Amino acid sequence: MKKGNRKIFAFILVILIQVSCSDWMEQLPPQGLIREEFWKTKEDVEAVVMGAYISFADMDDLLFKFGEIRADMVKGDINQPDDEQKIMEGNIYPDNTLCAWNMFYKVINDCNDVIKFAPKVQGIDNTFSDYLLYGFLSEAYFMRSLCYFYLVRVYKDVPLVLEPTETDASNVYLPKTNGDEVLVQIRQDLENIRNYATIDGYPTFAETRGRATKASIDALLADIALWTFDYEACISHVQNIEASIKYKLMPSAEWFEIYYPGNSFEGIFEIQYDNNLNHNNKTAGLTAQYSYNYDPSDHALELFAKKYAREMVRGEDASIKKYSESDFIIWKYVGMAPDGETERFGSVANSCNWIVYRYADVLLMKAEALSQLGRFSDALAIINEIRNRADVPPLNIADSKTAYEDAIMDERALELAFEGKRWFDLLRMGRRNNYSRKSKLIEIIIRNVPSTQKRILATKLTNPMGWYLPVYELEMERNKNLVQNPFYNF
Amino acid sequence: MKKIKNTVILVLGLFSFSLAFSQQKAVIRGRVIDKADRMAVIGATVIEYDQDNRVLNGTVCDVNGDFVLQMKDPNHEVKVVMIGYRTKVIPTGGAGTMTIELESSNIELGEVVVTARKKEENSLINIEDRDIASSRVKIDMVEMRDVGVVSASDALQGRVSGLDIIDASGDPGSGSQLVIRGLSSMGNNKPLIVIDGIPQYMTPSDFDLSSADQEDISNLINIALQDIKSIEVLKDAASTAIYGSKGADGVLLIETYKGRLGKVQFDYQYKKTLNFQPRAIPMLNGDEYIMLQLEEWHNKEGIFEIPPEIAYDRDYFNFHNYSANTDWIGAITQNAVTNDHYFNISGGGEKTRYFTSFSYVDEGGTTISTNAKRFSTRVNLDYFLSKKILFSVLFSYTNNKVDGNLSLEKRNIREMAYVKAPNMSIWERDVHGNPTGEYFTPINSYQGSGSVFFNPVAVARLGKDDRVENSLQNSFTLSYNLLNWVKLRETVSFQFGGDKRNNYLPYNAIGADWLSWTINKAEEGNNMYSSVNTETQLAFDSPFDSSNHVLSGALTWITDQSNYEWMNIQGNKTPSTGIQDPAINPQINWIGDGSGSSRGLGILLNLNYKYKDRYMIQTILRSDAHSSFGSNHRWGLFKGLSGAWRFSQESFMKSIPFLGESLLRMSWGVSGRQPTDPYARFATYESTNLGSYIRNYPSIVNRFVQLDNLKWESIETVDVGLEMLLFNDRLSFEGVIYNKTTTNLLFQNYYIPGSSGFDSLKFFNGGELGNRGWEIMMEYRLIQKKDFRLSVNANISHNINSFKQLPANFNREQSTSINNGEYPKRVIQGQPIGSFFGFRYEGVYSTDEDALARDAAGNILYDNEGIPIPMMFQSTYTFKGGDAKYADINHDGKIDLNDVVYIGDSNPDFIGGFGASLKYKSIEFSCGFHYRLGFDIINGVAMETEGMDSRNNQSKAVLRRWRVQGQDEKDMLPRAYLNHPANNLGSDRYVEKGDFMRLLNVMIGYKLKPEICEKLKLRTLGISFSARKLMTFTNYGGQDPEIGQDASDPFWIGVDNAKTPPPRMFTFTMSAGF
Repeated sequence: MKKGNRKIFAFILVILIQVSCSDWMEQLPPQGLIREEFWKTKEDVEAVVMGAYISFADMDDLLFKFGEIRADMVKGDINQPDDEQKIMEGNIYPDNTLCAWNMFYKVINDCNDVIKFAPKVQGIDNTFSDYLLYGFLSEAYFMRSLCYFYLVRVYKDVPLVLEPTETDASNVYLPKTNGDEVLVQIRQDLENIRNYATIDGYPTFAETRGRATKASIDALLADIALWTFDYEACISHVQNIEASIKYKLMPSAEWFEIYYPGNSFEGIFEIQYDNNLNHNNKTAGLTAQYSYNYDPSDHALELFAKKYAREMVRGEDASIKKYSESDFIIWKYVGMAPDGETERFGSVANSCNWIVYRYADVLLMKAEALSQLGRFSDALAIINEIRNRADVPPLNIADSKTAYEDAIMDERALELAFEGKRWFDLLRMGRRNNYSRKSKLIEIIIRNVPSTQKRILATKLTNPMGWYLPVYELEMERNKNLVQNPFYNF
Repeated sequence: MKKIKNTVILVLGLFSFSLAFSQQKAVIRGRVIDKADRMAVIGATVIEYDQDNRVLNGTVCDVNGDFVLQMKDPNHEVKVVMIGYRTKVIPTGGAGTMTIELESSNIELGEVVVTARKKEENSLINIEDRDIASSRVKIDMVEMRDVGVVSASDALQGRVSGLDIIDASGDPGSGSQLVIRGLSSMGNNKPLIVIDGIPQYMTPSDFDLSSADQEDISNLINIALQDIKSIEVLKDAASTAIYGSKGADGVLLIETYKGRLGKVQFDYQYKKTLNFQPRAIPMLNGDEYIMLQLEEWHNKEGIFEIPPEIAYDRDYFNFHNYSANTDWIGAITQNAVTNDHYFNISGGGEKTRYFTSFSYVDEGGTTISTNAKRFSTRVNLDYFLSKKILFSVLFSYTNNKVDGNLSLEKRNIREMAYVKAPNMSIWERDVHGNPTGEYFTPINSYQGSGSVFFNPVAVARLGKDDRVENSLQNSFTLSYNLLNWVKLRETVSFQFGGDKRNNYLPYNAIGADWLSWTINKAEEGNNMYSSVNTETQLAFDSPFDSSNHVLSGALTWITDQSNYEWMNIQGNKTPSTGIQDPAINPQINWIGDGSGSSRGLGILLNLNYKYKDRYMIQTILRSDAHSSFGSNHRWGLFKGLSGAWRFSQESFMKSIPFLGESLLRMSWGVSGRQPTDPYARFATYESTNLGSYIRNYPSIVNRFVQLDNLKWESIETVDVGLEMLLFNDRLSFEGVIYNKTTTNLLFQNYYIPGSSGFDSLKFFNGGELGNRGWEIMMEYRLIQKKDFRLSVNANISHNINSFKQLPANFNREQSTSINNGEYPKRVIQGQPIGSFFGFRYEGVYSTDEDALARDAAGNILYDNEGIPIPMMFQSTYTFKGGDAKYADINHDGKIDLNDVVYIGDSNPDFIGGFGASLKYKSIEFSCGFHYRLGFDIINGVAMETEGMDSRNNQSKAVLRRWRVQGQDEKDMLPRAYLNHPANNLGSDRYVEKGDFMRLLNVMIGYKLKPEICEKLKLRTLGISFSARKLMTFTNYGGQDPEIGQDASDPFWIGVDNAKTPPPRMFTFTMSAGF
């Protein structure tokens, strides 16, 4: 080989060596789970479904606050955060941190992810049966619908996101969708998926309470139907649950077992907590004696305190506990027995489940629906069944829808006290029959308001949009397509 | 690894191929004698070499001057070399015996003026310096050797137009912030540092959890100043485009000394520096503090129960601990000494040239318990294998040990010292007032929790925050002249570094109970990085014979791969303060680790053409790929085009006698920036905190959004410059105007609506940021005589920064909180990054009656019952006499978010410096000034120490506070009022002009005359005295107006947060050469 040729050869060699490195640029992170490596097995799908429950479980304090603080069953103590106090007093502005909805949407996004990717996983994982796939999908649809139902009740109109946010190219700047349309969507979703949901196909009993089942879907559907005043539908959904032998009212003596140890025959859907897994609830922290956050209100004391009430099963030492004349606390989340003495401690201290639906709740929903349809005796039977269980004398109610509405409202307050239901019950009452009883709702709201502002606020709240929370300021700034709730547009 | 292997094969291949020729052999013998006295020369070297000047064989003459050499090829020549004699070359023409006469080389050297036109070595663009048409400034570092600075960034301060250098902190071992031509991106405005052609490793964003600020810049600290020959600053994109994706924020090219032909030389330099801290802001003493606190309580509560700590209650068991007059700032401040030793050896022969240096710096800090020690060494080796092949090796190693102080609850020692109650004593005393020997660290003091309001002296003395950093760099370059005009160069460089951090906070340094997680807290972090770069370049020079056309250029192929790893462990409640290792016995709080790697490829083509030495055009085209982008946006194209006209060479200009070589140049270019996180683009999932729901089901949720739209941030610069040499080259002038636009700005953690299920995108490209301005640099050699030289230099640059465009869905208001001590954060299109927004402060309401709402005309507003409407804060608080008065911009009688206005920005309008140097016989004198004008600072220290709304100690300024109704004095401060809702709002009360000019360096030196040196058997000997930051002219009220521009996000504002101010330094330098 000539010298010149060698040089050229060497040169070409150099170039070839440099160019021959293909695929050299593709670098995957050594740690962490990336989408490229995920969504391969049914276990991946299940893990995200579980993630959605966990994220939802992070909100128990929020659900408590949304369901109670504007209503009349709790009052704030000295440690009540400023923002919550403002909401209680009706001084609501969009900068209130409680107005942020992002935790709901985090759950929704994970559910959307499952709904999109789970069917694709079936193509990869041969062990992923239809039964499992649709089971997971029913859980995802249930959790998504539950979130939207809360959102609609808290904000009325919200962005309806049905696709996961996959990339930065996804449209994340969605406008609000009318709340009624959102409800139509989720009812449809739930009805479509209901048949695939399991009745008790989970390996442990706790899971039949802590994960979505047919009954939990029925309960949610009943609740949505009642909210939209579709009474017939509500009754039929509740009948579906009644038809199942898996659920019944706990006997009087065991009423407190609904809360401790929880996962009773009465529970339909309970978000599970377990200190042993380091999974703590926040309600214990909100209601414990020395937290000074939330205490039973004067109205709640009237309902439960021995001084006034005849409630033996649900009353003092069960729903509430008295430390002194002026010091009462909510006992449901911190007590271990209906004796007002045995406190949850150690590994069960923060383990009380957050009960989303239970049998008594859906029965009372049915009673409400029946009474609104004029089927008073059927309704009364349910009310007295609940009262009988609570060891209080049966009622006789005049055959009027209003009288029944009030009686059921009171019964729900007693039975479901501090379970994040009261505000939504009141809201349902206020909206019913074209807001015919809104003054009663307003009267309750302004009980918490400082006397100087009562009159002004009462006038302002005749606008029902004031019953809903504003969109959080930061969210408004980040999404220019959102329109603020007009009540808060000063 | 594959890459490395390939390169090794290539290098070996090149070796073997150039050594592959051998032919018949022959033996020659001979004797070497001195031509003058004809005596045998002992020890002369006889070398056989080939046509390429490559050494093939050699021998050394014996005591008789005889030698025998077996030649590889009788046609080769032999060379006879001996120190003190002229080298002789002899064609042997085959075997035989010969006598070689050597001539002594004792020649007197007259004054030689060398005007060399050097071509840049190691450069990526293969062009002569004088022909460069883009914007670069080269600074010779020789004269900075003797000045009392430790790092290169300090030496450059105020010397280069358009380069803004600010000391990050006066603590030893801390770096500087460098910004070239204004802030052009967010998060990382740090210029790329290239040492001897090797781009230095840049830290990725998730590399370390603790502040990466200091490490990033440590590239500049890690190199001994005395090793640096010159620093070149590339400012426009036409020149930085050759560094492609790394050059966006400018480039600093550092060139170190190389070995040179000649006798071996030793240089030793010793510097001793005394560091003094500038005067601190005077603070209240214990008595004044107690008085102020009582007043705060009284104004708030009327009648109140006096807390025992400030009640002068002699029966109070802590009485002696709360009745001190402690000067906390004084207690944490010290004077310190820095020692700097530097030693180098250099030399070389025709074949090998070497330069090696050692440096040891022990830098003392002006805050107690701070210190930095640096050891560094460098070896630069060039080996000329033959005329055609040059092999060079660069090696450097640095070990950096920095002892710092812990910051607790986001307050550093100094911040704490400013606000710590001065009536508390440093040392604990018992009930009788006897010292107990312990620091006074109550769990709860009058000011609050002992771990928030800690004892700064105790934390400094007992706690530790140490960092040890090692970095190693090695690079090999082989250049081979393929043809006369084509050169192949292969460079492989390795960088390896790691640092280790140790924190420890013992229980007795803070007040905390034994259940607190801060008790005996130990933390250890380790980082490690490594990177391998290769550069393969085919450079060519002009193939034309004509001198009218000069063409040069290069084609370069660059690869770059880096890996990093980090590990962090934190434990607490170690059983004893003697155990400071988080892995031994404590309760582990958390352990974290991470690692990653990134890869980049670049292809660079540049062409330079010159016509008749007058018209020059240069083009750069670089294409880069980086693994942090998805395949759709992986390749980025960076380009530069520049042209210059050397008008002084035109015939019609020759008639102007005072005009030296001058040129007019224009350039345009685009360079880029990649995200700092190599894995940002991936959609990631993570285990939830608990990991499971109900039983042991794993639970996984979405964490980050996939980034399909992630692309390069690109920076486009247009630059027009004029360079002139006038009056026999005595006046040099350079003026530039430029316009720099950043598009596709990389926003980090870009907020998106919560309805997406996420909070933010890791990165988002959008918006435009602009910088435009001009720069002038001048140097005038006033007197140029043999014994007397005087020259002056000056530079000034002006820059205007603005957000030209913001992304469509950008959340322009980030913090709308208008509480005490907070500034609402906004970004407004058209305003510069780093703008402040807040209230306008208008003094103090003299009486209650003054605090009324007024309309635009100044008339008092009345409600419908005829009662004057009082001025309110956010409809919750009614202003009273003695309260701070803020401008009610919209005249609605309420001070709220609607009254927030633009109140300043932290970008300097003008920066620069000037200086003079004088040389008279053996005495040298030089001085340099640095200035920064037209920027504002939020005086965060004043905000904490003049608000009088808390239990913090306050500065002496509060002695001018409002006390009684009707009091109305000039410069009066509002009243003292504990937890006042509105007296200390973010307003222009704390916005101050930061303008300053300071005498940065002044040096006087003396060099011994050569004759005396010779007697002392020395080559050179010099001593000098210098002072740094001797005088500062400023109206700024804080301790130091050097506040850096650390625009990590668009909402960044420049707040002076009591960092350690750069010390005043006095240095004695002694240097000797052998």
